[in-house]
Amino acid sequence: MAQKNWIAIAKDNLWYNNPVFIQILGICSTLAVTNTLINTSIMTLGVVFVTGLSALTVSLLKSFIPRKVRMIAQTLIISFYVIIVDIVLRAYVPEVSRALGPYVGLIITNCIIMGRTEAFAQSNPPLLSLWDGLTSGIGYMYVLLMVAFVRELLGFGTLFGFQILPNNFANWTIMVMPPSAFFMLAIFIWILKGYMFRKEVKK
Amino acid sequence: MKREGRVYTIIFTFIISFVFVFVLAVANELTKDTVEKNQELFQIKAILSATGISYQSDEEAFQKYNSIVSTLNNNGSEIYTAQINQENIYATIFSGSGLWGTITGVLAVNEDVSRIVGIDFISQNETPGLGGRIEEDWFKRQFSGLKIIDSEIKIVTGQNGGDYDYENGQVDAITGATRTSESIEKIVNETISNLKDILGVSI
Repeated sequence: MAQKNWIAIAKDNLWYNNPVFIQILGICSTLAVTNTLINTSIMTLGVVFVTGLSALTVSLLKSFIPRKVRMIAQTLIISFYVIIVDIVLRAYVPEVSRALGPYVGLIITNCIIMGRTEAFAQSNPPLLSLWDGLTSGIGYMYVLLMVAFVRELLGFGTLFGFQILPNNFANWTIMVMPPSAFFMLAIFIWILKGYMFRKEVKK
Repeated sequence: MKREGRVYTIIFTFIISFVFVFVLAVANELTKDTVEKNQELFQIKAILSATGISYQSDEEAFQKYNSIVSTLNNNGSEIYTAQINQENIYATIFSGSGLWGTITGVLAVNEDVSRIVGIDFISQNETPGLGGRIEEDWFKRQFSGLKIIDSEIKIVTGQNGGDYDYENGQVDAITGATRTSESIEKIVNETISNLKDILGVSI
């Protein structure tokens, strides 16, 4: 495990073992924040930041953490970074903070972060863990951005708040509500995994 | 000391919690003023836009608020007044329950509470893209100058083309957000009757 090279880790996290469409983790936030691209970008940047740094911190502290309290220590470290993100958003970008509401705090419950600290950072050197955390965050980010792209385009007719579709386009209200994230995610999983299997079969 | 021993575990847990919580407390303390100022500014902007005062920048909003708007205290509820075009305008902050959570905002009325001057929302948790559209301009604009009939307004589901009459005390509901629209009607009417009581205007 520790000998895995950097490119292999990135490939794994972004594609072969993507946290969202292969491991099906972090689904709650996929449903909640993907109706506009701006919210999704800020939220996923927050997740990338938190996964990266908590993996780094856990990895740095791993030789001091007693096994009995390791989960609690990990949760503490993760929530530390989440609250930092929350504080920064509230102070410097209040509009975004208002739009995301309680979801920033809910980054703590994102299984990807806990999963990466427990499965990877606990047993790997700090810089490699940071890299692993960042790439899993990015793996989460691009899937969510794809979902948000379709949902915002069809639900509001806009992208990043700019009107794209003509004004007489009837917005698909369902795209704005949580159920559509289920459809969109399922369609993405179908397409991406279908593509993956086809490649495997060809080999 | 043994790493898995009880004493080490307790000391470790204590130290790690102390350090992380301490850093958070410092970060919170450092940004407290900015956060408070943001919230104040948000409320000020809402009051200004409800009373129909335009502003370009944050500084201008502060300045105009301080020079034009004055605050009356009435049995614990604050009334904001401003004189615009030789007429006194009264505004108050309301809050009431929407579909998912509390909706707070500002409602401004003219001196004899016969017309609404404007409405703006401070916080709401309605469904984004449905009930959440109460924050959009077209919805709020319907209230500006709306005549209050029998000390209430009505939110109606539109016939063809919508309701552009400001004399009939009616506002178009938001398609797909019936419950939010109903809540707004209730909240606004309650606020109108509160304002009447406070200002001593009889029907």
